Amino acid sequence: MSILKLDKVTKRFGGLVAVDNVSMEIQQGEILGLIGPNGAGKTTLTNLISGVHMVSEGKIIFDGIDITFLPAHKRCNLGIARTFQIARPLKNLTVVENIMVGGLFGNGEKLKESKKSALMLCETIGLEEPDQTLDKITVLDIKKIEIARAMATKPKILFLDEVMSGLNMDETREMIDTVRKIRGTGVTICIIEHVMSVIREITERVIVLDRGTILAEGPYSEVSQQHNVITAYLGEDA
Amino acid sequence: MKITKSLVIIMLLIAAALLPVVTEAYFISVAITILTFMTLSISWDMMLRTGQLSFGTAGFFGLGGYTGIIAVADFGVDPLVGIILGGLLAGGVSLLLGMAILRLRGLYFAITTMALASVFMVIIRNLNKLTGGPSGKIVYTTLFNYDSVKVYWLMLGITVGTIVVSEVFQRTRVHFAIDSIRADETVAKSHGVNIYKYLIFVFVVTSIIQGVIGSTYALQYGFVYPESSFSAHYLLLPIAMALVGGIYSTIGPVLGAIILGLSSEYLKLIMPYGHLIIYGVIIVVVVLFLPNGVYGAIKDVTGFRKRRLEER
Repeated sequence: MSILKLDKVTKRFGGLVAVDNVSMEIQQGEILGLIGPNGAGKTTLTNLISGVHMVSEGKIIFDGIDITFLPAHKRCNLGIARTFQIARPLKNLTVVENIMVGGLFGNGEKLKESKKSALMLCETIGLEEPDQTLDKITVLDIKKIEIARAMATKPKILFLDEVMSGLNMDETREMIDTVRKIRGTGVTICIIEHVMSVIREITERVIVLDRGTILAEGPYSEVSQQHNVITAYLGEDA
Repeated sequence: MKITKSLVIIMLLIAAALLPVVTEAYFISVAITILTFMTLSISWDMMLRTGQLSFGTAGFFGLGGYTGIIAVADFGVDPLVGIILGGLLAGGVSLLLGMAILRLRGLYFAITTMALASVFMVIIRNLNKLTGGPSGKIVYTTLFNYDSVKVYWLMLGITVGTIVVSEVFQRTRVHFAIDSIRADETVAKSHGVNIYKYLIFVFVVTSIIQGVIGSTYALQYGFVYPESSFSAHYLLLPIAMALVGGIYSTIGPVLGAIILGLSSEYLKLIMPYGHLIIYGVIIVVVVLFLPNGVYGAIKDVTGFRKRRLEER
């Protein structure tokens, strides 16, 4: 069963077509990988689905509801959550307060409930000092805050935009475990990543984007062998 | 700790309420002015916490003043009712305007709110029949019949009310909404915060406060006049107070209003000419050397001490 359906979605920024007539479906409960070279339109696609940008043409159906024209906060309430490629922690709030924002407004929790659930998320995801301010915090912890804040909204689908980039091997391992744990709770995951070993390890299916269109679709082992995919990543002579 | 804190607050409140008993008329009038600016300063800071710099303070202050005077002079209502009407009108106008201008951000929002005060003034200056036009309007039934002690208590009540509203905003979900909006609107809306709704809510609440204090201020003298009711004084002084005391908090504007209010009175006494220069220097020095304001500096120092104690 598909949870999210894009129907001929196009996004233009002035003369630039960032996403060009893309139709795709994400299945309930899967881990989908969204890959492609820089500028392929992966982040733009996430922005269109989460409502940060509005589509120029096409339709987006989530869980049977047409969300094409819904503002971002309503999409969040319906169950779409995302992290940001360049992590965007709320610097004037503490670790736990950052996560509470998700619960308070994404899941309609009361102040006390949201504190409780945020502290629980801190524990599951391994944020050891919930009351810390954000001025002396590690990259890994910032990425964990991003994920925990998105999870606090109790999403049905979670978009992870390059959460592994900039992490060392041990940290990447830890992150992969976290993603698996999230999936174990029944959340559908769409993961955008440049680290191919991660994609190979955790996705069941990948979609390859290039210049705003879908180039290939299927299990990573198959797609990574396709000639046009290799060309897109490495150029003609590879 | 909590008990001592509430004790201190209660003591301060009693002291503030008993002030007229121990002082003379001059000091009461100074206190009334300080409370007026304190309320404006807190309300300006409340809007700033959403990340929106509003220059509309004087506009809603003047609008409240005119509403109060007109209600009492032309419709014969009690001055206390006039104050409520002043707040309601400022709230209503800010709701309509907010729906239009709260789509703007940053400088564009700031400059538009600044224009509002001038637009209000021009409109009022030209509605001769209702507002008295350029010569202003006088009413003979003033608030409590010039009884400044009662006016002081009313002002104190309004100020305490404003402080309570500001603190409620700092302790409930409103705090998380406006702080996340200030930090990053994209993150806020992606996590379910209805940005537009919260901005309008805070804009209306702060405008009501400004309207109430404006009509109270006008009705204690029974007099409004376009140039003075909408004076930039009611915009710039509250901002200076918040900056000196420390922005993004309730205590900051309160401290700032007391410090600048008292020092301006004292300077006026010791040097009747040129006291504004010294006053300006004080503001510049504080902003330069205490960028987080007086309250911010106090917090830094106590935080530093606490950390040193923990390390030992």
